[in-house]
Amino acid sequence: MATQPPPPRRVAALLLVLVLVLVLVLVASASASASATSADLVVTRADRRVDLTSHIVRVLTSLKVENIGPEAASQVLLAFPNVQAKNLAAIRAFGMEGKVKGPSTVLPIEVVQPSGVPPELTFFSASLSKALEKGKILHMDVLTVFTHSLQPFPEEITQAESQLVVYQDSAHYLSPYPVKVQTLSIRLPGGRVESYTKYPNTKLAESELKYGPFEDRPPFSYSPMVVHFENNNPFAVAKEVIREIEISHWGNVQITEHYNIVHGGAKLKGEFSRIDYQSRPYVRGVSSFRHLIARLPPRAHSIYYRDEIGNISTSHMWSDSKKTQLEVEPRFPLFGGWQTTFTIGYGLPLQDFVFNSDGKRFLNITFGSPVEEILIENLIVKVVLPEGSKDIDVSVPFPAKQWKEVKYSHLDTSGRPVVVLEKPDVIPEHNLYFQVHYRFNNISVLREPMMLITGFFLLFMACIVYMHTDLSISKNSPSYLAKVQWDEVQNITQQIQAIFERCLALHDKLEASLRDLSRSGDVQSCKAARKAADAQFKELAKELKPLLTSLHSSPQSYQIWPKVEDLVAKERELQEKLMARHSTVVDSFEKKLRGQDVENRIATQQQKVAALRQEVESLLEYINSSRFPVDNPEAD
Amino acid sequence: MAAKAISSPVPVDWYPTLAVVMVAVGLMFTASFFIYEATSSRRSRSLAKEIATAAIASVFLGFGSLFVLLASGVYV
Repeated sequence: MATQPPPPRRVAALLLVLVLVLVLVLVASASASASATSADLVVTRADRRVDLTSHIVRVLTSLKVENIGPEAASQVLLAFPNVQAKNLAAIRAFGMEGKVKGPSTVLPIEVVQPSGVPPELTFFSASLSKALEKGKILHMDVLTVFTHSLQPFPEEITQAESQLVVYQDSAHYLSPYPVKVQTLSIRLPGGRVESYTKYPNTKLAESELKYGPFEDRPPFSYSPMVVHFENNNPFAVAKEVIREIEISHWGNVQITEHYNIVHGGAKLKGEFSRIDYQSRPYVRGVSSFRHLIARLPPRAHSIYYRDEIGNISTSHMWSDSKKTQLEVEPRFPLFGGWQTTFTIGYGLPLQDFVFNSDGKRFLNITFGSPVEEILIENLIVKVVLPEGSKDIDVSVPFPAKQWKEVKYSHLDTSGRPVVVLEKPDVIPEHNLYFQVHYRFNNISVLREPMMLITGFFLLFMACIVYMHTDLSISKNSPSYLAKVQWDEVQNITQQIQAIFERCLALHDKLEASLRDLSRSGDVQSCKAARKAADAQFKELAKELKPLLTSLHSSPQSYQIWPKVEDLVAKERELQEKLMARHSTVVDSFEKKLRGQDVENRIATQQQKVAALRQEVESLLEYINSSRFPVDNPEAD
Repeated sequence: MAAKAISSPVPVDWYPTLAVVMVAVGLMFTASFFIYEATSSRRSRSLAKEIATAAIASVFLGFGSLFVLLASGVYV
């Protein structure tokens, strides 16, 4: 590639100023009417510097405007032919009153339609913040950027030829005001100059073409000039760039850019010979380009470069504290008319780009593509905000079409709101910061973990439900059988309990009869009561027997069986002791012994009886109230 | 109008550590839950204990899987 001459210091400084300043560039609608007629102002000096080194044409016009008319002027008109205005991508004006070295203020530019002017011209008006008084001089710098202004001529070249392009302009500065002195200087990218329009005072020296100075030109003077020269600098034109900016409040701003790059210069005709290209790339393949350089913000991480096929490994990255520079090399060099598509993605830390002010959050990020010197024919910027963002509004320093969409991404229920901005003809001068304001509740950050927690909890719930239900269908299944047997055991136990309750009632009756005896002295009735009780005990024992056998045989009763056995044995002992005591009391009553002797005789028996009764009662309690598990051999 | 930078609620450097710790604790509680289910029989199970263990396990597993996703670069 031919090396470029270093830019003039003045142009570089002014370019730096405009990059740092936000300004309205183009307003689509026609606005305020033109004020005083053009005859009031005179351009005393106009110096134009045209930079043709890149495929984007930049013209810096330095004007010295003097007000000779009676009224103060509040605006300065700038005129361009329609064919040029069609390609105008950016226009900026800076004004300084008085000394050249003073601070410059940015002048807002609007499209106007003054009356009584030729229709082939487009007019822009730069509004002055302070009206220019009579006799005062205003220094104004106008930067205009044109795209598609370098026509490849010839339009098709072979691999070995270098690219020649044509630039057309006017040697005289086209202005609605008379121009006293003017010069035009065109910087060419080095290499050969095929031809240029020769006027009497035209000079070509070291890639710089100078026209002028021209003196005392009337308003709207135009003299066409053409320069045909060699320009092999990369003509990178992106047909469409989709730049997606996704914000995650967990700490990352992810940018994904899809490019469709075309070489916008002279098309390649004939065949492409790889051998020639690789052996002598500076001869066979001068008009092509291989690398694209992108300037990413500092602290960019997780950078990837891929296309539809997969990862592209020919890329290099350097990072420092101010920027991250990424050089990408597509899979093949681009010759005229060739195109390639790829995707670049990178992540940026959240705290560099999202801020909080007045309760609303906003994203502050650059609008255009980070690739250098690229002309984007259609740029679509999509800003994806987290779920739950409300009150979204965008402020962009230039007009762009906007609309809203919804995107469904990881762990989304209602989708993420997306603001889409579209702008045609984007150049690196448009790479300014824009803001997206939105409102976001801090609690909404917990939406995603809540969703995951609920998911896991439902899994656990399903396990619990499965364990708690009995899903068997057949009547021969072990769990069903176990259940049936368990019910049986419960039944039998209840019946046994009833019998024992009756036993205890009989004991109480015996006690009562003894008390009757001590009160009434009726031995016969006491004896009769004892006989009856005896008979009843025998009956109860008989009833108990089949129940006991069936309980013993049931497999579910293994836990309760020892207790029941124990109960039966104790009850029997109790009965015997009671009977013995009863007969002792009756005998002693018959023998008419004193109460004290009676007491002595039955003292030990009484104790035992009391203790046994306690035990029987506690066992009954236990059987009644205990809930013991069923042994199910299948589940559990 | 001073603009304050917003950053994530948890420092980004902690994501991998938090992921491992939370998933480990969550798995321990999951194991405890399943052991309880396996060793208890139908009559002696307590629903309150089951639900409590499941809730704690799911909280830890939920946060743990979130930090695993964040640490691996899927900024959800």
